[in-house]
Amino acid sequence: MRIGVLGTGMVGVAAAGAHDVRQRHRGEGDGHADIEGVVRLAGGHRSGGHYHGAGTEQFLPLYLRFHANKILLGVIVICLLILVVYPFLFGVAISFTNREIGTEGQFVGLANFIYLSRLPSFQKSIVNTLVLVGVVQTMKLVFGLGIALLLNQAIRARQFWRGLILLPWAMPAFVAYLTWKLLYLPQGGAFNVISVGLGFGNIDFLSRELAMPSVILATFWRGFPFWVISFLAALQSVPQEQYEAAAIDGASAWQRFWHITLPGILPVVLVVVLLSTIWTTNSFENIWLITQGGPSDATMTFPVLAYYGLQTLRIGEAAAVSVAMLPVFVTMAFIGVKMLEKE
Amino acid sequence: MLGKLTLRQKIFSYACLVLLAILILFPIYYMLTVSLKTNRDIYRVPSLLLPNPTLANYAELLGRRGFAVNMRNSLIVAGSATVISVLISCLAAYSLVRLRYRGRTWIGRLILFSYLTPASLLFIPLAVIISRLQLGNTLQGLIFTYLTFAAPLSTWLLMGFFRNVPVDLEEQAMVDGATRLEALFHILLPVIAPGLVAVSVFTFTGAWNELLLALIFTTSPEIRTVPVALQYLITGDVFRWGLIMAGAVVAAVPIMTLYYLSQRFVVQGLAAGAVKA
Repeated sequence: MRIGVLGTGMVGVAAAGAHDVRQRHRGEGDGHADIEGVVRLAGGHRSGGHYHGAGTEQFLPLYLRFHANKILLGVIVICLLILVVYPFLFGVAISFTNREIGTEGQFVGLANFIYLSRLPSFQKSIVNTLVLVGVVQTMKLVFGLGIALLLNQAIRARQFWRGLILLPWAMPAFVAYLTWKLLYLPQGGAFNVISVGLGFGNIDFLSRELAMPSVILATFWRGFPFWVISFLAALQSVPQEQYEAAAIDGASAWQRFWHITLPGILPVVLVVVLLSTIWTTNSFENIWLITQGGPSDATMTFPVLAYYGLQTLRIGEAAAVSVAMLPVFVTMAFIGVKMLEKE
Repeated sequence: MLGKLTLRQKIFSYACLVLLAILILFPIYYMLTVSLKTNRDIYRVPSLLLPNPTLANYAELLGRRGFAVNMRNSLIVAGSATVISVLISCLAAYSLVRLRYRGRTWIGRLILFSYLTPASLLFIPLAVIISRLQLGNTLQGLIFTYLTFAAPLSTWLLMGFFRNVPVDLEEQAMVDGATRLEALFHILLPVIAPGLVAVSVFTFTGAWNELLLALIFTTSPEIRTVPVALQYLITGDVFRWGLIMAGAVVAAVPIMTLYYLSQRFVVQGLAAGAVKA
């Protein structure tokens, strides 16, 4: 019955797959079963298992097994080759040309990168990206761990608190950042209502000096729940007996944290830090919706700069902004793939 | 760590939690109140309270502003991207988890690498490719580019779920004559139904929330998605924060409801996929 709801395009794929797999199981002389299989899959009728003696994978020659998998995997591999691998390499190629909209451009060697290295906006965007990521991730680590430890204690209504903490993360990022922009508004923003009410007068939270801290706070607000929930799950998987044994040995709270808790949750912490660092480094919404990189590049980061580059239609230079970040990304992604593969 | 707390520890813990609750809830509260205020109330007499609540912003947004069209676009794009990527991901994840063949590790790595690659590194070449394919300014083009993050994400999460199901069930079915695909669709998928929900919710929210690609690939107002429509309201000449926040509420409520309904599964999904190490 499941297949029935999947839509026509899918039935084609499923049927093709069924055909292929069945041939491997039953040999070529069984066309009748093929058709029945297709009909059954397409229509969702499922008659009981009456195909006896079907072999399993292991008895087939290797090349046949590989052939079957092509159908299962082919779709996604083609998608990713077109949508990720090709653009990835194409982007690198473009960054060495003076391509603009409408012209293919010519190979200009490192000219774009030399131009960028002298461009104040680019220098600023690198420094800003480092500051933003460094501060936000440190805050998430410290508060994320702190809050997770707090919630791991014997508190009442833990489910309620967990649900509450998920709120900023469940909220679409663009909604969260639009809301923070509203909070920071000089006229009508909540923080200024409070600051005027307390007698501090109007504060321009989006000025050159304060824009970066403001963006950092908003990015932290939206991002920390992911860390808390992941850390909490990790904390709860640390075996309770270890704490009991340590308590019998007279270990202090700090010793228990250092020797049991921390090693227990370290793998999760490392994965979360790495994944979140990749995403935070490349985040666009937080800057774009709150400050658009301003005032005077005070919050310019490299994704926003690349976006401006695309708007000027000088595609070669714009691509070079992203490509300049590739070494950092590739390093992190390489470590990330290794970590996640270990699973 | 679970032990009896002293009274002082208790007070400290709950004080921290209350502070945290304020930090989380205050922005949301302010968003809601501003969406229920007139322009005059927002700018002339700014206040944290809500003296004269009105639904005027919502009426204007959904009536004159045609926000429903943006909602429809977002639904089409996020829905299609989700259906397509969950379908192809089921097949890919199944193959990667259950079958052994040459090149499997490399395909697994390709998917992981794609999962980690952010849109901000791909959008410039993608812009060139999309315009070459004449898909610029169409919903189809947007759906297509959303597969860059949706397909690897759902494959990666589904692999986690598949791995947790013992292989015996399917083998039993296959001994009875079921084909691999029957085993996948009739045995394995029903078992991981909660996982499928989680993966779909994840993929859907990812696509619903996407701003950068939508900003680049949609130019005419009638095919803008929700995030793009709202960002045009803040970059315009006249700020209408009541209207913007009404839009934010309308955009957030369905997705957050979905999120909370499947929260348990989503967190399970996280544990099975991204976070489990």
